[in-house]
Amino acid sequence: MTYTDYLSKVEPIWCKGCGNFGILKATCLALSNLEIPPHKIGIVSGIGCSSRMPGYLSTYGINSLHGRAIPIATGLKLARPDLTVLVAGGDGDLFSIGAGHLPHVTRRKFQEKPIDITCIMFDNHVYALTKGQTSPTTFSDQKTKTTDFSSPVDPLLDMLSFMHSSESGFLAQGIATDPSHLTKLIEEAIKYKGFSFINVQTPCPTHNSEEWLKILKEKRIYVEAGKEVYLPDGERWIHDPQDWELACKILKTPMNQGIHLGIIYKK
Amino acid sequence: MKKSVSLGIVGLGGEGVVILGTLLLKVGSREFYHGKMQKFYDARIKGGSSAVFLSFSLEKEILPSENLDILVCLNGKNLKEFRAELPIVSQTLFFLDDIPENRPIFNEYSNALPFPFEKICREKGATLQSKNMVALGVLSRILGFDKEEVIEEIKKFSKKYEEQNLACFEAGLEFSETSELPSWQLLKPIPPQRDPAKGGMPGLQKIIIDGNEAVVQAALKVACTCLIAYPITPASEIMESLGPKLLSSGKVFVQAEDEIAAAGLCIGASLGGAKSMVSTSGPGLDLLMEMLGLASQAEIPLVIVDVQRAGPATGMPTKTEQSDLFTAIYGGHGDTPRVVLAPYDTEGCYRLTIEAFNISEYYQTPVILLSDQNLGQTLVSTCDFTSKNYQIIERLKPDEKEKGNYRRYIITPNFISPFAIFGTPGFCWQTSGLTHQETGAPASESAELQQKMAEKRWKKLLPLTKQKDLVKTFGNPKSKIGIMSWGSSAKTVLESLQEQGLLSKVKVCIPELLHPLPEEEIQSFLKNTKKLCICELNYSGQFARHLRAWIDLPKNTRIYSRAGGSPFTRSELKDWLSEVVK
Repeated sequence: MTYTDYLSKVEPIWCKGCGNFGILKATCLALSNLEIPPHKIGIVSGIGCSSRMPGYLSTYGINSLHGRAIPIATGLKLARPDLTVLVAGGDGDLFSIGAGHLPHVTRRKFQEKPIDITCIMFDNHVYALTKGQTSPTTFSDQKTKTTDFSSPVDPLLDMLSFMHSSESGFLAQGIATDPSHLTKLIEEAIKYKGFSFINVQTPCPTHNSEEWLKILKEKRIYVEAGKEVYLPDGERWIHDPQDWELACKILKTPMNQGIHLGIIYKK
Repeated sequence: MKKSVSLGIVGLGGEGVVILGTLLLKVGSREFYHGKMQKFYDARIKGGSSAVFLSFSLEKEILPSENLDILVCLNGKNLKEFRAELPIVSQTLFFLDDIPENRPIFNEYSNALPFPFEKICREKGATLQSKNMVALGVLSRILGFDKEEVIEEIKKFSKKYEEQNLACFEAGLEFSETSELPSWQLLKPIPPQRDPAKGGMPGLQKIIIDGNEAVVQAALKVACTCLIAYPITPASEIMESLGPKLLSSGKVFVQAEDEIAAAGLCIGASLGGAKSMVSTSGPGLDLLMEMLGLASQAEIPLVIVDVQRAGPATGMPTKTEQSDLFTAIYGGHGDTPRVVLAPYDTEGCYRLTIEAFNISEYYQTPVILLSDQNLGQTLVSTCDFTSKNYQIIERLKPDEKEKGNYRRYIITPNFISPFAIFGTPGFCWQTSGLTHQETGAPASESAELQQKMAEKRWKKLLPLTKQKDLVKTFGNPKSKIGIMSWGSSAKTVLESLQEQGLLSKVKVCIPELLHPLPEEEIQSFLKNTKKLCICELNYSGQFARHLRAWIDLPKNTRIYSRAGGSPFTRSELKDWLSEVVK
C-alpha cells in the first residue's frame, strides 16, 4: 500500500504552509513502509490543530477530549495488543491540560510489559486552534494574545527533559519540514516495544514569529548514533542513544543554539 | 428462644471488630440463618473506632430488632460515638472488656458485664490481635453455634495466626461455660427437617456478600473484560477484588492516575471491544464527567459504578448518603443522555450491574450505577442470587454487506447503529467528541446535524423507559397513599412499613431506573393517589425534585429527607410513616 492509502477523503482544516501537513505525510509514509494494514491501526488524539489528525487518516481513530489522548490510547492498546496505537497531540494538549498522564504512561507496566504506544507531539509553541494564546512551550520573549506584558511570562516547559526524567524509553525529535527524516523516526518509534515519544517541531505560519521560523531553519543539528554531536559546551561528543547522561545534555541545549533532530535516547 | 438476634461489636480500629463480625456471619450462615452486617468506621488507618451491627434471623421475612440483644465492647473509648447505630437497652447483654481503660464506663452502664477478653488472650500467650477470638468463643456459646463449624471458619480465616486464634477461641468458650453468665441460647435451633445432615431437605444455597462484591460477581458474570479505577473510599473493594480476578484470566485491570484517566482507559478499551467499567465514589464521578460526555456523544459503551458517600467535596468518606443523584443524572456540560440505575438491596447491586452492562452495550451509552456506602459495605448472608440465569446482551455489530460503505452513526429506525470495533477489517471509521456526521467525520458547523444527532442519542434510550422490571412496586395497589423512595433508603422504608404492619395500607414504588425516568410506570402508580410521601437520604430532596421535574405529583406530597452520615433506621422512619398513613 502506498502512503495515500492511509489518507481519508476529509480535507484538512490546517492553514496553508502549516507544518502539520508534513507530519501527516510522514506518518502515512511510516505506516506504509511498515506495511501495517489500516484496520490494524488506532490513532487517538486530544484537541487542537494537531488533534484533527485521526479524521485525515483511513485507519481507526478518535479525536477525543483536550488532554486525554494518552489514557484513551492506553485503554485501547491494553484491550487490543494486536493494534498499532498512535497518539497525536499538541504542546498545549499533551503538556498543559494533559501533562498529568505522561509520567504514568511512560512508567506503567501491564503484565510486566511497558505500554507500547507511539506518541507524536506537534510542537508549534502556541495554542493555534484557539487563535494564538500562550502554551507551555511558548518562548518567554514570544508575544501571544495572552502574554502578560507587565510581568515576565512563565518559563518554557522543557518537555523533552520532562519526558526523559519520566523514563520514556524512546525519545526523539523531528521537524515537520523534513518529512523523510521524520518518517524514519516514526518507523523506529512504532517498532520500539514500549512507550515512544517524538517531539516534532512544527512551524505555525499564522502564529509563530519570523525569528523563530528562522531559528527552525538554521539551527537544526541532526544526531546519529556513532557520529559526532554538537553541544554548546565545546567538547567533542559522539552520539550514543543508550547514554542517559548524554541525552540529558542534548536536551538541555537552548533551542536558539541548536535543535537536535534524531533519536536522542533509546533504552 | 428468639427467632432473630441483633448483635453489636465495637472496638478500636485494628482490634478485629470486622473480622469477628464476619466470622460470626459466616458460621451463622452455615447454620442456615439469614444475616446482615453493617459497618461503621472512621477514615483512619489504625486507631479510630470501628463498629458493626450484626443480625441474624431464621426467616428472611423476620426483621431482627434494631435494639441490641448483645453488645460486645472490646474498647469502650468511643462507644458513645455509636449511640445511634448501636442502641443499648436494658435487656442488652452487654460484655465490656475488663481493662483499665474501660473502668469508667462500668459506672455509666450498670448492665455492662465485665469480661476479661484481653486477660484471657494474654494468658494464652497470644498477641492482642486474637482478643476478638476470645469474644468469638463466648458468642458461639450464647448463639448456640456448632463448635466444629466455628473452628473450620477460624482455620480458613488465617493460617498464620491459626494456632493462637484457636487457643483463644477455646479459652473464651471454656471461660464462658465456667462463668456465671446467662446460659441461654438466643437463637432458635434449626428445624431438623431443614438440616441436610439429618437427612432433611437442603435449604437454599446461601452466600455471604456485600454490595461491592455483588458488583464484582456481576461483572464477572457478564464477562466484563476491563476494570480501571483509582483508590477511593468506599468503592476501593471493587477494584481490590475484581482487579486480580481479571488479571489472572488475561483481562485488563489498571489502577489509573486519576478518575479522568480511569474512564479514558475504559473508553479506549471499549472502542477495542472490551466491556469496561470504572468503579468510584462521588469525588471520582466529578472528575470523570468529561469522559461521560465523550462516551455519550461518541456512543461508546461504558459502565460507571458510584458507591456514594457523604459530600460535597471530601465530605464523610466512610459514611453513607444519597446525594450524587443530580450529578449522575444532570452532571456534565451539554445535553448529555446517559442511563442511571440505583439498586435498593444487595441482590439489586448484582442484578443491576448485569443490567448496566446490558444497557450500555445494547444502547451504546454510558450507564451509571448508584450504589452507596451502606449497600456497598454491608455484608449479608442471603439466598444465592448469583447462580440464577441472566440474559447477557452484546453490542450490535455491522453486517458484512456494509463493508466499504460503513457509516458508524447511521440513523436507523431504533436509532441504534452497528458498532464495528477497532481492528475489524474493512470497517475503518474515525469518531470524535465533535458533533459528527453519520460517518463519524466532524461536522461542528452544522446546526442541522447537531439536532439530528442529539435526537438520535436521546430517542434511542426511550424503549428503556418502557422496561417494566425496572420499577418495583409493593403493598396495596388500591391504596390512595403512595410512598416512593430509592436506593438503600427504600429498603429501610419497606422494612419499617412491614414492621408496623402498614404495608397493606399503602402502595410503594421504588424506581430502579432513575434516568431516563420511566414516566408511564410511575404515572400509573400515581393514578388515584391522594397523598404521596417521598423518602431519601440527602438534605435537598434530589429525588423528589427530579420526579417533580418530569411528573405532575399530587398536591399533597410530603418529603422526608435529611443529610447522610448515618443510614436511616426503621425506628427513625416509624413516626413519620405512621403519621402519613393516617
